[in-house]
Amino acid sequence: MSSENMTLNLKIWRQKSAASEGKLVDYRVENVSPDMSFLEMIDVLNEQLVRKGEDPIAFDHDCREGICGMCSMMIDGKAHGGYKNTTTCQVHMRLYKNGDTIVIEPFRAQAFPLIKDLAVDRGAIDKVMIAGGYVTANTGNAPDANAMLIPKPIADEAMDAAACIGCGACVASCPNGSGMLFMGAKISQLALLPQGEPESPRRALNMVHTHDGLGFGNCTNHAECEATCPKGISIEHIARMNREYLKAAFTYHEKTRSEGGA
Amino acid sequence: MAINLDPKAPSGDLKDKWSKHKFESKLVNPANKRKFTVIVVGTGLAGGSAAASLAELGYNVLSFCIQDSARRAHSIAAQGGINAAKNYPNDGDSIKRLFYDTIKGGDYRSREANVYRLAEVSSNIIDQMVSQGVPFAREYGGYLDNRSFGGSQVSRTFYARGQTGQQLLLGAYSGMMKMISKGKIKMFNRREMMDLVTINGKARGIIVKNLITGETEKYAADAVLLCTGGYGNVFYLSTNAMTSNASAAWRCYKRGAAFANPCFTQIHPTCIPVHGDYQSKLTLMSESLRNDGRVWVPKKPNDTRKPAEIPDEERDYYLERVYPSFGNLAPRDISSRQAKYRYDEGKGVGPTKQAVYLDFRDAIARDGKEVIAGKYGNLFEMYERITGDDPYKTPMMIYPAVHYTMGGLWVDYNLQSTVPGLHVLGEANFSDHGANRLGASALMQGLADGYFVIPSTLSHYLASTPLEKVTTDAKEFKEAEEAVKLQTSKLLSIKGKRTVDDFHKALGHYMWDYVGMSRNEAGLKKAIDGIRKLREEFWKDVNVPGDAGNFNLELHKAARVADFLELGELMALDALERNESCGGHFREEYQTPDGEAQRDDANFAHAAVWEYTGPNSSPIRHKEELKFEYVQLATRSYK
Amino acid sequence: MVTSAVNHYCKSSIGRKQLVAITGLLLCGFLVGHLSGNFLLLAGPDAFNIYAHKLASLGPMLYLIEAGLAAIFLVHLGLAMKLNMENMKSRGKYQEKNKTGRGTTFASQTMPYTGIILLIFLVLHLCSLKFGSYYETTVDGVLMRDLYRTTIEYFASTAATAWYVVAMFCAAIHTSHGFASAFQSLGLNHGKYFKNVKRLGLIYAILVGGGFAFVSIWCHMKGV
Repeated sequence: MSSENMTLNLKIWRQKSAASEGKLVDYRVENVSPDMSFLEMIDVLNEQLVRKGEDPIAFDHDCREGICGMCSMMIDGKAHGGYKNTTTCQVHMRLYKNGDTIVIEPFRAQAFPLIKDLAVDRGAIDKVMIAGGYVTANTGNAPDANAMLIPKPIADEAMDAAACIGCGACVASCPNGSGMLFMGAKISQLALLPQGEPESPRRALNMVHTHDGLGFGNCTNHAECEATCPKGISIEHIARMNREYLKAAFTYHEKTRSEGGA
Repeated sequence: MAINLDPKAPSGDLKDKWSKHKFESKLVNPANKRKFTVIVVGTGLAGGSAAASLAELGYNVLSFCIQDSARRAHSIAAQGGINAAKNYPNDGDSIKRLFYDTIKGGDYRSREANVYRLAEVSSNIIDQMVSQGVPFAREYGGYLDNRSFGGSQVSRTFYARGQTGQQLLLGAYSGMMKMISKGKIKMFNRREMMDLVTINGKARGIIVKNLITGETEKYAADAVLLCTGGYGNVFYLSTNAMTSNASAAWRCYKRGAAFANPCFTQIHPTCIPVHGDYQSKLTLMSESLRNDGRVWVPKKPNDTRKPAEIPDEERDYYLERVYPSFGNLAPRDISSRQAKYRYDEGKGVGPTKQAVYLDFRDAIARDGKEVIAGKYGNLFEMYERITGDDPYKTPMMIYPAVHYTMGGLWVDYNLQSTVPGLHVLGEANFSDHGANRLGASALMQGLADGYFVIPSTLSHYLASTPLEKVTTDAKEFKEAEEAVKLQTSKLLSIKGKRTVDDFHKALGHYMWDYVGMSRNEAGLKKAIDGIRKLREEFWKDVNVPGDAGNFNLELHKAARVADFLELGELMALDALERNESCGGHFREEYQTPDGEAQRDDANFAHAAVWEYTGPNSSPIRHKEELKFEYVQLATRSYK
Repeated sequence: MVTSAVNHYCKSSIGRKQLVAITGLLLCGFLVGHLSGNFLLLAGPDAFNIYAHKLASLGPMLYLIEAGLAAIFLVHLGLAMKLNMENMKSRGKYQEKNKTGRGTTFASQTMPYTGIILLIFLVLHLCSLKFGSYYETTVDGVLMRDLYRTTIEYFASTAATAWYVVAMFCAAIHTSHGFASAFQSLGLNHGKYFKNVKRLGLIYAILVGGGFAFVSIWCHMKGV
């Protein structure tokens, strides 16, 4: 904990593009206020680089309030810096000391190809969602919202899972590069709720099979994802997905039938 | 060019207008729908819900977003909730009351027919979102729970912890994912709209920049939906996301879409105060906190005691004192202004002396820490992470910040701008909130526009408009693309000394100081003059490193700031021309003796609609007169 | 299609890990049986030899059980190795190694290594005991193999005992992660009871690993 302005040594991964070689480059930032956010500290460094005519460090960020899931960064080997329930944009410099050396790398995984410096392509997360992360409910069909009663504990548990921001920290920190936590959270959320339950088996099969084809690794229950998740999502949701998948693999059956009529 | 500002609001009784209009709208038959292509720019609540709903109807949708995924649009950051006239708590709510609250909350500067429709479809939104699996908060019996928000005396706000915007956005996003899987939506991530292409006066496509490769791309369609959000980032510091910008809307403005009420900006009272000049954005603390938190300042100016050391009789709970019937839940514009009065009187607290306290001491004593943690735990944690203070022990310090822009591109009842085929949804349009938006209404409007309004009105446009076949080989596409490339190379060639953020911060200072919470003639003139000079300097001295052919974040920022430097001037001009105070627009010259906004309904009961006339000539101010048939114009009072 | 469903399952990430989990739990069950047999060593040569003889005289039944066991083992080993190889490819390669794994444990990180040690152990174990030196003895007039003597002789060597203890330590480490992990893989994780499953896994690992090691040390003392 620091309350005075600091000087920090940074080692930041620089890589021009996916095709080129990358390396850790040393930077020094002075006058870092403890009230700065981690990304504001990088902003300050980037301003320095621009003034010197150098290429600023590319990194993803947007809302800067911990909800959009755009910011990433492995800080000292830990996704989002390793603080409980915190995204990189919410990490504040008062957590560091004058003279600290901080190593900053992109989120790495086979499923997340690098774009530039600290920015990676997390499109694989969308692809898993496209495979079934929804309830097939077209606009205009809905019955009254209170027509379907959902017990509070169930709604709360679904909300725990739904809190996922799709940042990919679970994948980046997983020793296997597996996407089970973010996928499990969605499958679990929709399996818990009566709205999502009817297509639960189909969803589990399609999402898991899509996940497997995108370069994500397999889960071996390290639970590193759970410890890293900035929204504190539990691996209980992975267990629920495992259950849903097991059930679906041996019971779900879809025949193609003609739907023609007079 | 004469612009047509016919609101096209249907005739008839207020409560029948929308159903009558829907019935009278032409339809496109199912087989023909697949022949139409619609571009949707933005994937927030408005864009996401519109893209999903139109694709469900059978249109081919091309969807564009600036982030790496549609799930990251800034609607995600809305915390508190979404309003709907369900009247589940049996506390006297109705469509009419939500309509009335919204009109009054907007200080009588919005269009009656639009607002009524908004209130009318509000209930359907909740039904729709629940059916998509949004885990709204529930009671033990399984029924939906409600809370209260500012500017209303009923509990009509539905919520999902402090992450309502996220849950609704993920609902709309899931609808999009479903339609992507069916091949009806083609998604384009990391694209920024650079220009609108009009052919024969109709919107027929867009030019976008691929933010990774830096290349420009052209897309043609039969209609364009602009769902790109507001322009709060013109202030540099706001609660908007870093990439939230005005460029898409601004370029449409330059292509003939009129801009309405640009000066109507919402300053939200409960944000975390600014720490230093390195600050990149401001973080909102949900308005829902004012359900239980009490706002106060010390009665004595320059009181440096710790909050706990100040006894109750020396505290000024000024919202409760000035507005006894609404108390801490007074609307945002009013609460922000009262905070400003307090620190103008020297009673502000915190290192900058510009904050006020939001105190949970009494709520914790009344309900217990558990209950308060259950309601606001995640917000308290967020506050502690940012400031290092524990709100369970010491009051939060809050400060007003730019949060939302009520102004936007002018649209008629069909959400169509003055450019045929260009429809504008959500915060990007000006339609429903008048001069001030009530809490939990932005989510409602975005989803109403996307789910329930546009599917009907866009079909009518497509069915009733002759649309010749257009490809991106048309010369209008080439010209627009060339103009974008020219601007890019110009920005890169300046190689000046000041960074893009330098200019943006300087613009922000002008905006906050003179076009912010309170405005006056001299200040606005100063701002106009200053912004003009700043803009000239920008085009002479900005430093954009790198080249166009890669992931060049400084270049992307520079193009946005160039547009902000033009928009800022128009906002100041609009504020200068509106010689009254209303809602978020407070002109010091026009106030009641007790410091409340004084409207001038005789001269300003209209939307100011600005028409672009070229780079070197002044824009023309048109008026859309607002006719109030159902609501009696009255002085807005929350006392 | 039923076959294609099974096929998909056996190729999917979750399907394969569930097969690893099921086979792992079966192997855990086998270890309990094996260990109870081992404790008969403490009851003297006759008790142990009669037990071994009973097993051997099952005839074809024994071969079937052994084949089943081998199959379970091979599925467990083969799938785990395949998953591990895939995971080595899909994981992020960082310059800065995780300074502190916050979820991962020593056991979870070393599963492939402890597994390989156990594989080597198993081969040697079968060679030196099951297929080791063959003596005969007569108990109650029945001629049978004197496996007791083979065992005691084998553990007379300090090196053999030490290696055995090391291997059992690995088995304990391996099952301390594997036991609870199998429940998680099969979807049996709930806030209400999973802590107890984890505890049970730990107790299992200590009792079984410790039990085997104890018997081997006992044999060593007996033999020297």
